[in-house]
Amino acid sequence: MTPAPGHFQLYTHFTPALTAGDYKFTTTQSLSAIDAKGALGPDQLPVDSLDTHVTVTSPRYLLPPEQALSTYPPAGTEGAYGARLPQVVIKRRTLPWERGVAGAPAGTPWLALVVFAEGEANVLTNVDVAQCVTSDVTLPGTPDVAKGSCLEIRKSMVDTIMPTQKDVPLLAHGREVDLNDTELMMGDDDGFLAVVIANRLPLAITDAQGKEVPVKYHACLVNLEGQWDKLLPSAPPHQRFTSVLTLDAVSVAYTQAVYDQKAMGMPVSPKVVQGIAAHGEGAGPAPHAADATTRHSGVLSPETVAKANTGAKSWVHAIDADVSVGTGAFVDLDPGILIAALDPVLRFPVLLTWSFTSIGDTTFEKLMKEVDSGLLGTRGTTPTTPVGRNPLEVTETGHVGLDQRTRRGDLVRAWYRGPCLPHPADLTQPRLTLAHTADQLRVVVPDGREDLSLAAAFEIGRLLALSQPSMISALMRWRQSGYQVARGHAIWDTIIADLGIEGVVMNASPSIGGLLARSFAKATATSPGGVLGPPRQVVTPGDAMGLDTSGLGSVLQNFGLDIAADQPLSSLVTRLRDTQVPRVPLGDLARPAANAVLTTTLAGAQEQVLTQFVAGALSTSILTRPGAPVGAGIPAIPEIPGVPGGIVNGVPVRPHDQPAPTGPDALDEALHGPTTKRKGRRS
Amino acid sequence: MKLDVPALVLDLPLKLSAEIAVATTVEDDDADSSIPAALRSWLVRLRLLEGVPFGNLVADTELLPPESIRWFYIDRRWTDALVMGALSVGTVNSDDRTQLAANYDAIRTELDQEERNARRKPGTPRFAGAVDAISGFVLRSQAVSGWPALHVRAMSADPVDVPDDRFFPDDDPNRMRLLRLERLAPAVLFCLFDGIPKVVHIEEPRQGVQFGFDPGDQEGSFSYQPRDVTNFQDTGARLDVPFRATPGATGVIDIEQVQKDLLARPDTHVNDVDNKLDSAEYALELLRFPYRQVFGDPKGTKINVVFRPTIAYADQVATFRLGGV
Repeated sequence: MTPAPGHFQLYTHFTPALTAGDYKFTTTQSLSAIDAKGALGPDQLPVDSLDTHVTVTSPRYLLPPEQALSTYPPAGTEGAYGARLPQVVIKRRTLPWERGVAGAPAGTPWLALVVFAEGEANVLTNVDVAQCVTSDVTLPGTPDVAKGSCLEIRKSMVDTIMPTQKDVPLLAHGREVDLNDTELMMGDDDGFLAVVIANRLPLAITDAQGKEVPVKYHACLVNLEGQWDKLLPSAPPHQRFTSVLTLDAVSVAYTQAVYDQKAMGMPVSPKVVQGIAAHGEGAGPAPHAADATTRHSGVLSPETVAKANTGAKSWVHAIDADVSVGTGAFVDLDPGILIAALDPVLRFPVLLTWSFTSIGDTTFEKLMKEVDSGLLGTRGTTPTTPVGRNPLEVTETGHVGLDQRTRRGDLVRAWYRGPCLPHPADLTQPRLTLAHTADQLRVVVPDGREDLSLAAAFEIGRLLALSQPSMISALMRWRQSGYQVARGHAIWDTIIADLGIEGVVMNASPSIGGLLARSFAKATATSPGGVLGPPRQVVTPGDAMGLDTSGLGSVLQNFGLDIAADQPLSSLVTRLRDTQVPRVPLGDLARPAANAVLTTTLAGAQEQVLTQFVAGALSTSILTRPGAPVGAGIPAIPEIPGVPGGIVNGVPVRPHDQPAPTGPDALDEALHGPTTKRKGRRS
Repeated sequence: MKLDVPALVLDLPLKLSAEIAVATTVEDDDADSSIPAALRSWLVRLRLLEGVPFGNLVADTELLPPESIRWFYIDRRWTDALVMGALSVGTVNSDDRTQLAANYDAIRTELDQEERNARRKPGTPRFAGAVDAISGFVLRSQAVSGWPALHVRAMSADPVDVPDDRFFPDDDPNRMRLLRLERLAPAVLFCLFDGIPKVVHIEEPRQGVQFGFDPGDQEGSFSYQPRDVTNFQDTGARLDVPFRATPGATGVIDIEQVQKDLLARPDTHVNDVDNKLDSAEYALELLRFPYRQVFGDPKGTKINVVFRPTIAYADQVATFRLGGV
């Protein structure tokens, strides 16, 4: 019976029929028979025994990828995992019990999940499988992979963080879930899973100010085969709280002189430890400080002993002794050999490893219960007034006052409201009419400020479209072809209307516009006469010219000639020749009163001429100066003293008694240069 | 069929500029309608405020303090203006603008409909009809960064007769659709609903079954409620979690002591069978369930509880009265 959806069943273990290894099945057969002499002896009917060799395989150094259904916390994530135990869900239910661990009671899983922070241990990858276990251990049998990963960890750290011999059986269990429950099943095929839980909460550490600092943790599924005795047989003393790691940044006071002393092998007492050391609150060396020297070097290098942190909260408290603060950087003698004897480095094969970052142990429940809920526009329950800016202005409509630099450069306050309203939107009011520029959407509200909400929205939409070349090209393609869809609908509607078929609904496909336009163009090209009408003649023949007498009559009349126009051309010419042209008597011009207009005009002309002369006098030197542009290639204007020439308003001015030169124009020469080709073309 | 070709050709420009495009019901995600499909899907996402700078959504940092959730309704005029701005890129001359003006109503109607299909599962039937109102929330909390993939569920009716922690199937008729659920920043979650919900559930991500403890009041202390292993009920007691006292063993649980603690409590029935804790019982004691926070619409909430403008109309009136009268 499978569990109902949402339910699951827990099992202590799933024991496989055979643990992994090489097996030999021996088949023997004994026959008995009776012949005339009686029963035959057993040696008279020999049957060879049949040996069948069977190898039960199981992953040993590498978990096949499909076997790990899920890891918690998810690999590579960052989260508040401090109150949750890491775990791995394995697809094959029997996998944790498929190998026997020598020295352990039957039914003990051979897998354990080890969680360690950076610095507490190392994961080595791409190691020969023979090197994946501690050097004094060999695992018999054929390895499943050539190279694997291994966890390199000191014995002291094994005692600190790895499960004890009594813990290991409790940390793996089996689970049966409903096959239809995708969340619980996680891609399993038979609904039975195996789960390995870690024994450690991935807590964040706190810095000197008591703030939590994220810690990167690694989780490793390790193989305990052959190394059962490396685990603690039983749990060390316990306490009802866990020490919280504290990140302690200590300043540097390590002089060159002291360093020299160290180099000479003389005892020194460094005051302060360089670098960052983490230590537990209450007890315990921190992951960083927990390397071998801190625990065992009291006997290793007594000359480097220093009175390190003696505060009650430091990790020294637990050891309660002088410890070496050497971290390799200034432990002058190499303690490697001694440490190896006292605190050996162990290696465990790693079948699966992933890492995650823990940012603390706050729970989701606590955060969500205390979350400040309100409509957008509400400030927090304890609003902080920022320094150096105007206080927050929020109106009941949800508008926020913001500083705005206008186009003219004035700094003013404007209203802005994003798309998020603190009140339901009015769905009954008409929709916004189409605007083509942002300025169409600028609004001045009664208090005199501008409301730039919609204008800002328009600009953002425009800029977002412009930021994507694919959208620009799509819009442009639509502009070219997409409008033809509407066009197609229009034409099609007309055709339907013209046909006069009632009750026929034709759903024109969107491409009908393009098709129609294309076929229209093709038809037009093949027979223009049939579609558009006969072509117009290339040249329009002109009308025959004739003398229109009515027009001539009005011309003659307007000249003040009393001559009839409707007469033969020859007599008309004779008449014109004989006609006296009326003249204005010149004597009248001298009378200012009678010819005020004329005298004014003449005076103006005279003034202009005078101005030209004066200007000419002023610019003569410019024109005739050596190197002047005008002088190149043509004779310079002869300079007549007292009667200068020059250029006024771009027109060469000459002395009025100077004959105009017959050569090329001086200005043209100045503008185009004296190229004969150009001149020849112009003339 | 005899077409009056010259008349047709002569009338065409006039007809085109006057012809108002009719909105079509989109049948397929990839089919062009009044607007090309690629453009349509982009504009729909734009209308769901995708890509809009956060400063334009929440204009001031004080409006979204840390550890807060802010609810809102979407201003349709604002999103319309956004679309107009995007469409204005395609208009070059006044002829284009005439065409756009003729097409705009149809485009907007289609976008109204297509908004609902923005997060539709492929293969499911399309939603017809326009979204009448869109609402949503912005959540700025450590919960967003610490619990990736939060579950958000909106209900159109508040089920009064059922407990809030009941199991909601995916096809619950009261369930409202999410138009958008996105982390805008590591700690900021932005969510849009297709309608105005009555109840919103925010739930811890269900990453399978989890094991763990509850943090205690003291720094570094954790506790759990022991369960009866026979019927999975809480015993009501609360036990502190023992940790290994070894220096450096941060967070390492002393499971042997857990076993002793549990065996000391007969009401857990751990010792019924073999007088020891086995792995299944241990797992059962440590099981932790996702927490669900329910945001509802309590009756009689005054607007000034959930929304406090700094410049209130009533205050302004009072100010001007005092000064003027």
